[in-house]
Amino acid sequence: MVLGILSSLVGVAQAWCIAVVLGHALISLHSGLSPQTFPVWPIVSFLVLALARACVVAGADVAAANAGVEARRRLRGKVLGSILAGGPALLRQTHSGALTSTAVDRIEALDGFFGRWIPASVTWIAAPALVLIPICIIQPRAGLVLGLCGLAVPFGQAIFGIGAAVASRNQFLAMTRLQARFLDRVKGIATIVLAGRTEDETQRLADAADELRQRTMKVLRVAFLSSASIDAAMVIALIVVAIMDGKVALALQAENASPQLEHVLTSSLFVLLVIPEFFAPLRALALAYQDRAHAQGAATAVLDLPAVQSHPALEEQQLASERAISITLDQVCFTWDPARGQALDKISFRVPAGETVILTGASGSGKSTLMELLLGFIKPESGQIRLNDTPLETISSDALSRIISWIGQKPTLFAGTLRDNILFAHPDADEQTLMAAVKAAAVDQFLPSLPEGLETRIGEGGFGLSGGQAQRIAIARAYLKNAPVLLLDEPTAHLDPETEKSIFESLQQLALNKTVILATHSAAAHMFNGQQIGLQSGKIIFQQGAA
Amino acid sequence: MPDVTQNSSAPATSSAGQPNTPAVTDRQAIFRILKLWQRQAPRLAIGLMLALLALCTGLLLMQVSGLRLAGAVLGEVIITTALLRWVGVGRVFLRYSERLFAHDAMFRALADLRVWFFHSLAQGAAAGLGFRRAGDMLSRLVSDIGTLDGLYLRILLPFMCACLTLPILLVQLCSQNIILGCLTGLLFACSAFLFPYLIARSGRQDSERLTQNLSALRISVLDLVSGLREIRAFGAEDRMLARVQADDRALLDGQKHLARRAAIANATAYLCGQIAILFVLLAISGIVFSKVAPLSGVGILFLTVAAFESAGALTRAGVQAGAMGAAARRVVEIAQVGPVSAQTEQEVDAPAGTDIQVTNVKFRWASSRPYVFDGLTLDIPAGSRVAILGPSGVGKSSLAALLLKAAAPESGSITLGGVNISHIRATSLRRQIAWLSQATHLFDDTIRSNLLLGKPEATEEDLWRALEEAAVAGVVRNLPEGLDTWLGEGGVNLSGGQGRRIALARTLLTNAPIMILDEPATGLDAQTEQDFLRTLNTVTAGRTVILIAHRLTGVEKLDQIWRLSHGQATTVAVS
Repeated sequence: MVLGILSSLVGVAQAWCIAVVLGHALISLHSGLSPQTFPVWPIVSFLVLALARACVVAGADVAAANAGVEARRRLRGKVLGSILAGGPALLRQTHSGALTSTAVDRIEALDGFFGRWIPASVTWIAAPALVLIPICIIQPRAGLVLGLCGLAVPFGQAIFGIGAAVASRNQFLAMTRLQARFLDRVKGIATIVLAGRTEDETQRLADAADELRQRTMKVLRVAFLSSASIDAAMVIALIVVAIMDGKVALALQAENASPQLEHVLTSSLFVLLVIPEFFAPLRALALAYQDRAHAQGAATAVLDLPAVQSHPALEEQQLASERAISITLDQVCFTWDPARGQALDKISFRVPAGETVILTGASGSGKSTLMELLLGFIKPESGQIRLNDTPLETISSDALSRIISWIGQKPTLFAGTLRDNILFAHPDADEQTLMAAVKAAAVDQFLPSLPEGLETRIGEGGFGLSGGQAQRIAIARAYLKNAPVLLLDEPTAHLDPETEKSIFESLQQLALNKTVILATHSAAAHMFNGQQIGLQSGKIIFQQGAA
Repeated sequence: MPDVTQNSSAPATSSAGQPNTPAVTDRQAIFRILKLWQRQAPRLAIGLMLALLALCTGLLLMQVSGLRLAGAVLGEVIITTALLRWVGVGRVFLRYSERLFAHDAMFRALADLRVWFFHSLAQGAAAGLGFRRAGDMLSRLVSDIGTLDGLYLRILLPFMCACLTLPILLVQLCSQNIILGCLTGLLFACSAFLFPYLIARSGRQDSERLTQNLSALRISVLDLVSGLREIRAFGAEDRMLARVQADDRALLDGQKHLARRAAIANATAYLCGQIAILFVLLAISGIVFSKVAPLSGVGILFLTVAAFESAGALTRAGVQAGAMGAAARRVVEIAQVGPVSAQTEQEVDAPAGTDIQVTNVKFRWASSRPYVFDGLTLDIPAGSRVAILGPSGVGKSSLAALLLKAAAPESGSITLGGVNISHIRATSLRRQIAWLSQATHLFDDTIRSNLLLGKPEATEEDLWRALEEAAVAGVVRNLPEGLDTWLGEGGVNLSGGQGRRIALARTLLTNAPIMILDEPATGLDAQTEQDFLRTLNTVTAGRTVILIAHRLTGVEKLDQIWRLSHGQATTVAVS
């Protein structure tokens, strides 16, 4: 920022050098003096100043860019922290495309805020004011003209600025909407193509893209108007000074007053040359105005994310035992959406350590909700869940994730190899442990059919693997983790009976000596011995078997 | 460049999902993009004209205001006040309209490009995205296409302006002093053409890495966001964060590096301008150069100042040119992955008949994989109801892919109504066949919009009937917003089984005479499943139904049952 002001001052000095040379040349024209008397100093100092200014400008650029990079690194870390803190519940409200856009593009857009807006916002008063001082000294009337034109600029900015902020917010909204829409459509692209709806969807995407264009243009129209207002101020100043000084010079010429004429010419040329310098910081401010608006938009989006909780207010409690864990639900209620009624209504049951409970019930009866409560993704509205008599909410999420393994309907497979995906559960596991898990989950049965075995890269959504194979990876993860509690949420929902049977066999092995809750409506669940609990519309309708 | 475009639009032989896209050079890619902008060519051209006019007035304004003052020395008014005023007004007005018009034209072209990109992506994606990651596609659609605006605004426009400025500068300066004119012209050419070119060339790899880094960051962020459940359940927050931050660091470090280059380019451009001014000053003083007339000296000095300002923009653009080339290539690459089935010259609409005959088909997904079908022969007459049974992995879904032309057989033939489907236009074929697969996607939209995907012209009544048939009408009716309930990402606001039934309703809604239902009863409990299959017996009268399943419940009314094993199909007695 200091560099920016310095650069303006060097520019002023340069203009003075040029003006001296020109004034001298012109006056020689008037008085017919021989050119031998030309001073060399302005030319030499001009060169030195130019070199100095090049360094200053480059330094300022690099400093601004570095500041922007640091700020983005910090902010992106914060946003990602918030997303992780918000956890799975966040996905129910916001599309993953929108979250990604917040963490990636919104933060990238802040580049301009740190790189352009902050420097511009500091220099826009100081630099023109400093430039004005020598002008006032040399030619007060030009200083007055420039000062007046300069003062008009902030008024224009204030008017346009408000409009720019609103338009910019809308633009980012359109951008986010386009992103989320596209991501969703890309994920389901086969469905669209095979339904023969490519044209329709393309048309809708075209509409979204066009909306983005219109919104962007709205932002730019305002931004361009505001820089046009500065252009206008500059042009007015330029023309007024040229005409005014031209008159004075003409008068002096008529009087044939050489020394005064040279002074007037030099100072007027200086003013003309320095006018762009005077307006440059203001123009930079106008250009950076949309960066500020972007930053405000980003701030709003980031504020919508949950704040990182330092830690639960309740004092953390250690579980008495880390290995044998019983689960107790006491009058647990939960509602996703008040208009749709309660998802869980006063659910109470107990799973003794090392035993199995099988939850049955039609789709939508609340099985998955119950699982999410146990995983701590969501908190019960009323009632309590206890692990070994320790209330769930007093267990830190780290400790909770250490004691619970979970296998859902479809495991998420991350970008990377099969090995990376299994090691996800326990990155420090040695090769032997890994191979044991691979064997126990029967992953080794399909490894030969993959081109590169464990090193095979996995495509989007587990492309290249069948549903049963993906589920085996989830089981291998659970083996590696070896947690005392196992939650199984319809682990075979998408599998055929034979695969289902063999998956259940693997799960039976995994479940040995663990506390298990299995949600399923498969007939094959009888392979597990344990208490059966039937759910319907969030209520327990039957309970049978040993408790 | 006819040969270039021909090369890049040649149908690729790679199958969908294989990432072996043919290489395209940056230049080919950029020409391809420019060709795609043809529709906006008039607007883009007008934008260019305005830019040139604005440039002329800009050059003129500085020159005339200098001359106005200098003329006073001779006691004459060389430049009239009116001229000055007109040039001033013209400058402000033209500059504003140029920027507005050029940007609008550019964004129209970008919107076209985004649409083209999606369309091309859809061409090769009947079998899904394969190994391409959605996050990467998103990055291409959003950032890469966004970067391409610079192609016109930052490169093409300033380049044309510089092409116009150079002769003006040369003529004006040479008329005073040939050596001065040539030297200044050379400096201008360096600043506007040579330096940008050199910078662009040397920075190509860096910029390309930057584009990839941004895409990598997007993939890993998207991975983190969509894997939140797993991450929480495994307590892997710190690890995933570290992983994303590693990608972030790579990106930001690259940007720092680029910023340094940009700063150097900026300083170089600035110095070029200053040296040119220095030359003019020397010439005015009569040092080194032979002296120029003072009055014209003032004129050319102001002209030089204004001219080099515009050249600087090009030097800065050189830094971004590499990124634009890389972006263009990443965008064009998508179109390289051509449709899976070999294009035949003459494609026809699907015939009226809907008999399906599969004869001696051999098929595998890739030459490294084993054969899925080896001599598969099936015969499904129009209007019949057949089941195809077999355990998972036996190729039931592959059969559906073949029938829908999402994949092509290696040998053998598949005919629909007596016409080989390789001759039938894919869109027309797919209108005849409705498919409910395991991977059928629910869109982040209302239930209504999701259903209308099956049949856009369906009435309210049609929708409810389909929901009724899919045994999900009761659930939807109980939702406070009914059909207008927002489904959420992947149908997150409904349970898995309910979402599947919405997808089923969408399939039932289509008018297609052939329906392929791949495990339609997944996620239903035993009773609902039986009810549903009974409904299916009646609602699909007159249509061909191909039921893909691993087992039968006994309530289906079927004309024929095929069992797949060892790459072939055998008939099973209908009980």
